[in-house]
Amino acid sequence: MELVQNFPFLTIILALFSGPLCSILKSKAAKWVNTIVIALILVMSVAVLIFTIQTGEAYVYQMGHFSAPWGNEIRVGILEALMAVFFCVVMLLCMLGGRRELAEEVEETKQNLYYVMVGLLLSSLLALIYTNDLFTAYVFVEINTISACGLIMIRQNGRAIEAATRYMIMSLLGSGLLLMGICYLYDLTGHLLMSNIKEQVALLQQSGEYHIPLLIAITLMSVGLAIKSALFPFHSWVPDAYGYSTLSSAAILSSLVSKGYIFLVIKIFYRVIGFDVIRESKVINVLFVFGVLGMIFGSVNAIRENNIRRMIAWSSVAQIGYIYMGFGLGTTAGMIASLFRILSHAATKSMLFISASGLTDVSNHDTDFFGLTGSGYRNKIAGIAFTVGSLSMVGIPLFSGFISKVLFASAAYDTSGKLIPAMIALALSTLLNSIYFMKTVIRIYTPSHRAGIATDTRTIAIREQPQKTVVLVLFIALNLVLGLGSQPIVDLLTKGLEMFG
Amino acid sequence: MNISNLINNYEEAVAMLLFVIGFSNLLLQPNLIKKIIGMNIMDTAVYLFLALKGYIEGHKAPIVVDGIQSVDAYVNPIPSGLVLTGIVVSVSVSALMLSLTIRLYRRYHTLNLDEISTQLKKEGL
Amino acid sequence: MGIWILIPIFLPVVAGVLLLLSSAKAEEETPPRCASAAERAGHSKNAARGAGAAKSLTRLHCITAAVLVVSAVLALFAAWSGDNSYTWFELMEGIPIYFQIDDVGRLFVTVFSIAWVLVCFYAFTYMKHEGKEQRFFGFYLIVYGVLVALCFSGNLVTLYLFYELMTLTSMPMVLHSGTRESIMAALKYLFYSMCGAYLGLFAIFFLYKYCDTLTFTAGGTLNLALAEGHTGILLAAVMAALIGFGAKAGMFPLHAWLPTAHPVAPAPASAVLSGIIAKAGVLAIIRVVFYTVGADFIRGTWVQTAWMSLALLTVFMGSMLAFREKVFKKRLAYSTVSQVSYILFGLSVLSPTAMEGALLHVVFHAFIKCALFLTAGIFIFQAGLSNVDQLEGIGKKMPKTLWCFTFASLALIGIPPTSGFISKWYLAQGALEAEVGAYSWAGPAVLLLSALLTAGYLLPIVTNGFFPKKKEQGEAVQKEGASAHGATITAYAAGNASAADAEDGSSAAASAEVPLGMLIPLAAFAALAVLLGIFPNPLIRFVGQIAASVL
Repeated sequence: MELVQNFPFLTIILALFSGPLCSILKSKAAKWVNTIVIALILVMSVAVLIFTIQTGEAYVYQMGHFSAPWGNEIRVGILEALMAVFFCVVMLLCMLGGRRELAEEVEETKQNLYYVMVGLLLSSLLALIYTNDLFTAYVFVEINTISACGLIMIRQNGRAIEAATRYMIMSLLGSGLLLMGICYLYDLTGHLLMSNIKEQVALLQQSGEYHIPLLIAITLMSVGLAIKSALFPFHSWVPDAYGYSTLSSAAILSSLVSKGYIFLVIKIFYRVIGFDVIRESKVINVLFVFGVLGMIFGSVNAIRENNIRRMIAWSSVAQIGYIYMGFGLGTTAGMIASLFRILSHAATKSMLFISASGLTDVSNHDTDFFGLTGSGYRNKIAGIAFTVGSLSMVGIPLFSGFISKVLFASAAYDTSGKLIPAMIALALSTLLNSIYFMKTVIRIYTPSHRAGIATDTRTIAIREQPQKTVVLVLFIALNLVLGLGSQPIVDLLTKGLEMFG
Repeated sequence: MNISNLINNYEEAVAMLLFVIGFSNLLLQPNLIKKIIGMNIMDTAVYLFLALKGYIEGHKAPIVVDGIQSVDAYVNPIPSGLVLTGIVVSVSVSALMLSLTIRLYRRYHTLNLDEISTQLKKEGL
Repeated sequence: MGIWILIPIFLPVVAGVLLLLSSAKAEEETPPRCASAAERAGHSKNAARGAGAAKSLTRLHCITAAVLVVSAVLALFAAWSGDNSYTWFELMEGIPIYFQIDDVGRLFVTVFSIAWVLVCFYAFTYMKHEGKEQRFFGFYLIVYGVLVALCFSGNLVTLYLFYELMTLTSMPMVLHSGTRESIMAALKYLFYSMCGAYLGLFAIFFLYKYCDTLTFTAGGTLNLALAEGHTGILLAAVMAALIGFGAKAGMFPLHAWLPTAHPVAPAPASAVLSGIIAKAGVLAIIRVVFYTVGADFIRGTWVQTAWMSLALLTVFMGSMLAFREKVFKKRLAYSTVSQVSYILFGLSVLSPTAMEGALLHVVFHAFIKCALFLTAGIFIFQAGLSNVDQLEGIGKKMPKTLWCFTFASLALIGIPPTSGFISKWYLAQGALEAEVGAYSWAGPAVLLLSALLTAGYLLPIVTNGFFPKKKEQGEAVQKEGASAHGATITAYAAGNASAADAEDGSSAAASAEVPLGMLIPLAAFAALAVLLGIFPNPLIRFVGQIAASVL
């Protein structure tokens, strides 16, 4: 066994222990420990990615001394490593981009607690990515929920706490269903390791026994995770949670936390149940319908929203809809489109949150739509980043959003019967997206003296905010990379998905 | 699917019933404390279900006493382990929910989540 | 060698972006009106500042002109130095961003470049009164680069990419004045364009599945074996592309943005929007129909019938609306709706002669419509007159301008020996030759009717301009009328013009003739409109070659 093969486990442990370490440090030291740990994990994940690409196959890492049916395992392939790398990059950028807001909005003594939560969150995300054990996945789902809740409530105002409570309640409903589903499945198959469950499920499917319980288990798990990842109609907590938490929380929550759950859904589909069984079970049709509805509903609400942060949050609801629609297509191509959407959305949405906060900074911290008039001139880099993000969301070629839409369209093409609804949904949501994003872009580039609106005249030059500038430039670059050099990434996703099951 | 099946497996039926009760409490109760109680009922139902699955009639708890190591003597230990883990998770989540509840109560002097929302709207935050 | 194609695309884009970046700060800080007023008057209180601003303005003009002329020359050189192609990079597997120069691209890039450069020189003077020159010229340069790329696009995806970019980068020209009205117009523009582009993308997506390659090949690349049994959906896709890309060309049913968006833009921008950017829609349609699907596939199908009907309907409707419209620029915008559909009709009958006519009309209409809009701009700039009724007697004050307008109008109506006559002749002849049933005579009839309407909405301006009915009295009445109308022009333009009036202190707002900077481009366009009609042979040969290659 090579050293690199230990890295997935080490990254989880490292992130997990950086939490308690941060809790005893001063906030400044905690900040640095956190940054360094994330960067270190990033490097290690890259090493793992390179290793898996070189070997070209997934490997199993046994935890402790118990072997396969009893012990706990980690399973690492290209897809997992790629996701880990990507999550680390986005997380690192989100943390750097939201530092100043964190310092302003959170009490000095509480800041190190924030880094505790971030450490836990990262560790749970990594564990969700790597684990091969269903119950371990459940435990880390809960850790993820708790730490995400901590990220929301760290900002001590009524709104944030209420949002955290609502988030918690919805999440608990979701985890209850997930746990029940896992127990059902355990009852049916007698295993907790994903690969073993899949063998048993295949046997069950052959014998034709326990068809309904299996269906119930699949439904419970899918619905549970759908609730947790804010699929329409379980999205009610999203606008508040993203809209009123501190900046880096909103960015991380929207781009990573929900994606962790979605990755678990993919894992359950491919590795636990087997995609053929899922396809026959019709659960995906339900997901498809809700995905499509979410795409439309989220966008319509985003148009009606006047608060820019909440607008972006509503757009997240629509994006989650996209991803589930891709699942619902029931093809590997649809799954790859969804995976690409996960990457593209993570890169874009966090950029939008950070740039939107840059824009509100120069508008008397007014998140209202009209208060932002002309802010694109006052904070140039934020304006540019917001524009790029908007264009990507709308699906203009050059940026990542376009590629993902093309992938969805060509995936829909190969399905029977879902082509037309998927196309209509894509068209409608593209139009709606372009309405609210372009409306905002035009607003931030409308000179305020022309529009006759008195606004803040403070400007923030690029050199006054080097950190944010670097972060936003990196995000723009990430978007362009995903938009222009998509083919290698799609290839990696395809290869990763092959060795995933 | 007939009634005798249900009666034979009454333990599972009870577990499911409890789960539904807990779930609907968590979903529908406006009172935060009742929500938390609902959540605990829901979790307990799952543990009951798990414990049932691990239990084998006439076998003992999986603790080696008197040197008996035969598999036939003990119940399945894994569900018990799962229940323990689940309890830990449930406790921590309950603690978090309770702390949130306390925060909200201090601020708004009510446990009703809907009322809190109305107050927030009035604040215009 | 192929990489040279990228230079005329990127040079203006990069220069434009740099201009924008350097302008962003200055714009937010200095209210532009006082700056432009200072330049205009030249003797205001802050003369020093005015002089400084004028100096930086001159520098801006020099940079813009230099970049634009150099890139235009390079673009023309790239276009005419032989067939060439260049794959820039692979966007996705099997979908490269690919440039290729062929005859259609050559024709369009030449027209676009000539018009773009001339309008640019006009804009140097005109934009003094709109302010925010740096932003305007920044976007102006970027759009030029994008247009060149559009002309050189070698496959549908590349075309789509630059088509979208063109929409986005030309939008700021619509909302230049920043008023509520212009923002709403820009949003409308964006909405219609996005709708259209998505329909186009939908079609591209299907064509990608059924064509051997998306690379443009004369005669189409549709794989008939694959398409067997899927004809219905493919035809629907082609129709979607026609309607979608037709949005930019102002074809019914997605035409409504054009009369809203074109008039609110500054005059040079309206000129290029109407004269050039509307043609980009035509180019996209040519590329889809003749270079990807192939004309034979849609010949005789319901798609052709629907396309012809829509085009003719738009021709007639546009003329009628223009006839009834009183706001000058709006009237011209409706005229664009009608005239661009002439082109589309010529394409839709799928006969070589009609296609020649269509391509000729692309060239002629571009120059004519630029001339007309530039005239409208001069009237607004010099006298603040935006309503048709106010133009009575204008020929006395600005005879040269009105003469140019007269020639352009005659050309648009199609009176020999001007250029419009030739293109319309070919259009009508092509329609008569083609086997399209009732359309082969209904088409020319509608074209003729529309030509009469065109005469009806353009010539009264000329006659009233030169021979006013009631002189002083009428003008006073109409000035009142104008202020009551209110919505006739953007409030800002009116305010600025009246300020200019006050400064000059003379009763006749612009007794002096128009600045040469504006008159020369206008005259050039008018001359092109007439001369191309007198010496059309090389051009006819060239478009004949294109038509023969695809039909």
